[in-house]
Amino acid sequence: MSLEKTNALIDHLDKDFAGADTRISPETTAATTRLIAEDEEAAKEWAYLQRAVDAVQQAGLYQQVASARQQWESQAESAAETQQQDHPPAEAPAAGMVRNLYRNMMRAAAVILVLLAGGAIFKYVRLSSSSLYSEYYSSYELNTSRGAAGQDSIDQAYTARNWNEVLTLSADAKTSSNKMEFLAGMADLELKKFDDAIAHFEQVIASNTHSGQDYFEDEAEYYLAMSWLAKRKVNEAMPILEKIKANKDHLYHDKVEKMSFTDLRLVQYKENK
Amino acid sequence: MKVAEKYTDAELTSAISSGKDLDPAIHFLYRQYSEAIRSFIMSYGGNEQDADDVFQETVIAFIDCVKKGKYRQESSVKTFLASVARHIWFNDLKKKERAGIREKKYESARDQQEKDISHQIGDVEQRRQLRELLTQLGEPCHKLLHLFYYENLPMKEIVEHLPYENEQVVRNKKYKCLQQLTGLLKANPALAGQLNELIK
Repeated sequence: MSLEKTNALIDHLDKDFAGADTRISPETTAATTRLIAEDEEAAKEWAYLQRAVDAVQQAGLYQQVASARQQWESQAESAAETQQQDHPPAEAPAAGMVRNLYRNMMRAAAVILVLLAGGAIFKYVRLSSSSLYSEYYSSYELNTSRGAAGQDSIDQAYTARNWNEVLTLSADAKTSSNKMEFLAGMADLELKKFDDAIAHFEQVIASNTHSGQDYFEDEAEYYLAMSWLAKRKVNEAMPILEKIKANKDHLYHDKVEKMSFTDLRLVQYKENK
Repeated sequence: MKVAEKYTDAELTSAISSGKDLDPAIHFLYRQYSEAIRSFIMSYGGNEQDADDVFQETVIAFIDCVKKGKYRQESSVKTFLASVARHIWFNDLKKKERAGIREKKYESARDQQEKDISHQIGDVEQRRQLRELLTQLGEPCHKLLHLFYYENLPMKEIVEHLPYENEQVVRNKKYKCLQQLTGLLKANPALAGQLNELIK
């Protein structure tokens, strides 16, 4: 492609930008449009030029968002410092320790897998996300002493296993609470509406982050993992289950610890195949 | 950071589409949604750095999607951001865990919702590669193209930002810079291959 034609394509590309060359006549514009439509080489060059402009715009957007992120992080840092001065936090476990623990668990799991190869093949055929879900899922029992005094209507509907009523009450409520979101998620889970259940559980987690509370957090995390298993998405369930297993204070730690992570990894391998 | 501006979903998308005052809109996205999305990523096994990176990539994908008119407003901005973040994070996870062999298998396992998101936000990895190209271009060309195609400044103002004598010199330089960039694009097998597929 001649330099002249390429430059004509660039002028054509520039016409919607503020820096465009205003001396380009309508006749030239029409001729370039025809060139792109009729000449294969020109059409190809045109596509490359458009993608090049896309690259410039992507890089510009990245720069702009990165700068906003930087400002946000420095703001958050100073807010955290102020909070730390007022309330020094309890010491958290080092991230490296958690990673080492994870690596060691992986190594151990690998050795066990080799030793139990025969058993694993049998399991391999039998196992699936949904079989694990059926094995590990148990309905959530509502602890009525946890909420306000006395059972309210959503508690009663939940205890009566009237799942549709739970969903109606939750949808009609003027103000939502974590408990209501969680119970709606459980009702969806019981009705096998897994996508809706996931949305409710994620909402509980997000709302806690926003408010700084942990109301129904542990429950939402555990049943979020269960929902992913039910949806046959073990990849999504695994990080949550590993997080629960690593946290001894988690309400569902003991329950998750009893799960067979070998089985879970076998399913992960099988379903990613 | 600018003092709080508040937007409804419609105001936010309209501010982004117009391209004017994008900064307050980005700051609003960070202020309003970063904590929830970050905690969401961390609940899926990400660390703080992962969560920050995913949120940044989510904001970029969202703005790009709105600017290109692909955001259909079928869900709230919050829900859409959560879906985009989840999509990006799981793609990153899969890449980290099994570089190379997973994509095809993963694609087949995706449900419709994920495919919709993928369709709306485009290929995140391709976007990263496109950005990478600009770093190979050299600062003067990068700056000139940025002022013209991203800042959308008139030539008169571009001349003021650059050490060139007049508009014609800048225009000639821009021709060369853009051709240099298309040259880099053609020399990148992954990007050129994708483009050639589209042109066919």
